[in-house]
Amino acid sequence: MQTSTASPDTQADNLRRAAIDKSVKGPVLFLFLNGAFWLMASTILGVLAAIKQFAPDFLGACSVLQYGRLQPTHINALVYGWGVQVGLGVMLWIMARRSGQELRTGKSVLYVAAVFWNIAVTLGLVAILVGKSTSMQWLEMPAFVWPVLLVSFLAFAWPMVFMFGRAFRPEGFMVSTWYILGACFWFPWIFITANVALHCLPGLGALGAGINAWYVHTVILLFFAPVAIGAAYYFIPKVTGQPIASSQLSQIGFWLLAILGGWTGMQHYMGGPLPAWMPALGAAAGVLLLIPVGVVGLNHHLTTLGKHNLVASSPTLRFVFFGALFYPVSGAILALISNFSTGATLQFTQAWYGFQIVAVYGFFSMTVFGAIYYIVPRLTGCEWLSVRLIRNHFWFSVYGIGTIVVTSLVAGAQQGGDLNSPEMWDQDFMQLALNLRPYIIARAIAWALITWSNVWFLIHLMLMVAGLGRRSSAPTLLEHDHEEVLPQAAHA
Amino acid sequence: MSAPSSFPNPDSNDLDRLHAAVKREKEDLDPGHEPAPMWVLFFFMLVAIVAGGQLGPMTGGFSFDVSNPFSIAKSGDPRPGGGDGAAAMDPFQTAMKKGASGYAVCGGCHQGSGMGLPGQYPPLAGSEWVLGGTERLIRVVQHGLVGQVTVKGQNYNFPGGMQGFGAGMSAGDFANVLTYIRNSWGNEAPMITKEMVEKFRADEKRTTQWTMAELEPFKDKNLPGEIPAGPGATSPAAK
Repeated sequence: MQTSTASPDTQADNLRRAAIDKSVKGPVLFLFLNGAFWLMASTILGVLAAIKQFAPDFLGACSVLQYGRLQPTHINALVYGWGVQVGLGVMLWIMARRSGQELRTGKSVLYVAAVFWNIAVTLGLVAILVGKSTSMQWLEMPAFVWPVLLVSFLAFAWPMVFMFGRAFRPEGFMVSTWYILGACFWFPWIFITANVALHCLPGLGALGAGINAWYVHTVILLFFAPVAIGAAYYFIPKVTGQPIASSQLSQIGFWLLAILGGWTGMQHYMGGPLPAWMPALGAAAGVLLLIPVGVVGLNHHLTTLGKHNLVASSPTLRFVFFGALFYPVSGAILALISNFSTGATLQFTQAWYGFQIVAVYGFFSMTVFGAIYYIVPRLTGCEWLSVRLIRNHFWFSVYGIGTIVVTSLVAGAQQGGDLNSPEMWDQDFMQLALNLRPYIIARAIAWALITWSNVWFLIHLMLMVAGLGRRSSAPTLLEHDHEEVLPQAAHA
Repeated sequence: MSAPSSFPNPDSNDLDRLHAAVKREKEDLDPGHEPAPMWVLFFFMLVAIVAGGQLGPMTGGFSFDVSNPFSIAKSGDPRPGGGDGAAAMDPFQTAMKKGASGYAVCGGCHQGSGMGLPGQYPPLAGSEWVLGGTERLIRVVQHGLVGQVTVKGQNYNFPGGMQGFGAGMSAGDFANVLTYIRNSWGNEAPMITKEMVEKFRADEKRTTQWTMAELEPFKDKNLPGEIPAGPGATSPAAK
């Protein structure tokens, strides 16, 4: 335990890490705070959109508050306001720590980029609400937004790549770092390709829809997944004190994800007016992704084996463990909606929403919550105030996400099965949509639970950033009564 | 290392407390080298087989022209003759198939067997009117025939004669029926094409029925026009 050893080396190492933390403190906290705000906004919009889906008269006839505008605003706030923004914060901190490099210059550039990111997201979401949506999934924000987002992203990716370049890279350095580095390059690639193709190339026809579906899948697989896996690979050994079980498995997991991730997407339009090989390749890649997904899941399982008591006590490990658990779950759901046998049923149903939420919230966001619970005390110099709030955040999120994902999948199976059933030929589409009402009500309740937990998460985070956290050298742990947990436990 | 002076906390000079979170961290560890378990490889194989199943029949032969996941490129459009005509069926076989259904109009009198009814309707099978000059055949069917007619040495004179059927049929259907009767029940003669019928209809504007005497000059004349290569060009053995 490092607290008991005070050798000059350790002391220097502690100071170096403290200096690194201090150098990235401002930008990272700015991103976290804004991200948490957008997350809360997104979950509130999620509640409203779900209610609008089963009770269209709710909130009256104002065009701004109709389902068709609330739903894309909800998803875009989740993806750009929360997901990418907070992902950048986690990436920056992990990359700085892993490479052992302080953020030397350009902090002001990062502030400016972060401010512009939030301005662009705000304008984009307002534009969706007033009816200027482009009606392309995850790219509903008008065309003027994406260059701003791109430049802001690159402003953050640039120093990370430099940190990587300057770093001393011992064996095993790559395990979490390469995911972060990959995300730095993949997101701009995906974002530029999709936006240039969809906004600048005329006459794409049906292929435009395919590119759009490709964009959604690759942002999940080549941005959200790498950031979350990178964080899990960093925090699980850090908290458990146990090395990553197998570097071989982690290599397979990374390279197969890197190779296969970009091939998915078109299977969303299987049987559609695209050249048949495009959906077929997407379907094959979507199923093959079970391999890297399973491998990473196995590796995390082997790493946490025998340390499950820490999952109960450490907030970080609890969230990261849950998020890492949902990586294989997301992969399995992706395989379900991607292959031609079950995909034909689940296509264009509520299951698609279920997949987006399990990937962005169940997997990515839960892992990132864990990262935030670890990072923020190191940046603010105070400890999380309330065990109860953290516990509340965890359980409401878990039950909320579980409800949304399960009901969306079941609703999708019912909806798709009915639509495809020859015996239901006399049922019109609206009747089948109305049959889903109970599931949508459950979704609204689940988003309300999540909103409740996220309001408190935002308040908790704001108190921390304001320096009003607990003044103590002991971490905030969820359980203290376990005999293996030492008073000065090393895993918060 | 001095504490940052801008740090907001009043006790920011308390180094020990300030860096407590950093100090209690565990060090970064090298990853272990456990080999992947054996069952993982079997899992890989299973997944790869299922994934391969998504590719095999679904790719449409990696052609940019095929969007039907359940067809391979070679089979093309399932409609007879192919949707775009690129992979069209042999024109003679198509004409025979379509002509067979078109013949339902004729079969009422000439019978499905093409043998006609003795004393009333002349036969088509082996008839010199059918197998001979196509100029004469097409005139009979287009405009009709009235009065006495001699077929295979037998005389027929059905009251009112035969009506003209040309007005009610498109050039393509008309050509198909003619090709059909020239190649059924043992008949074998070159096919008649849609283009021939169109040209004939443009040239010949008669509206009344023909008589046997009037048709005598066309007895051995054939309609001008290209006959597509294949079994229809020669005398095929069409069944």
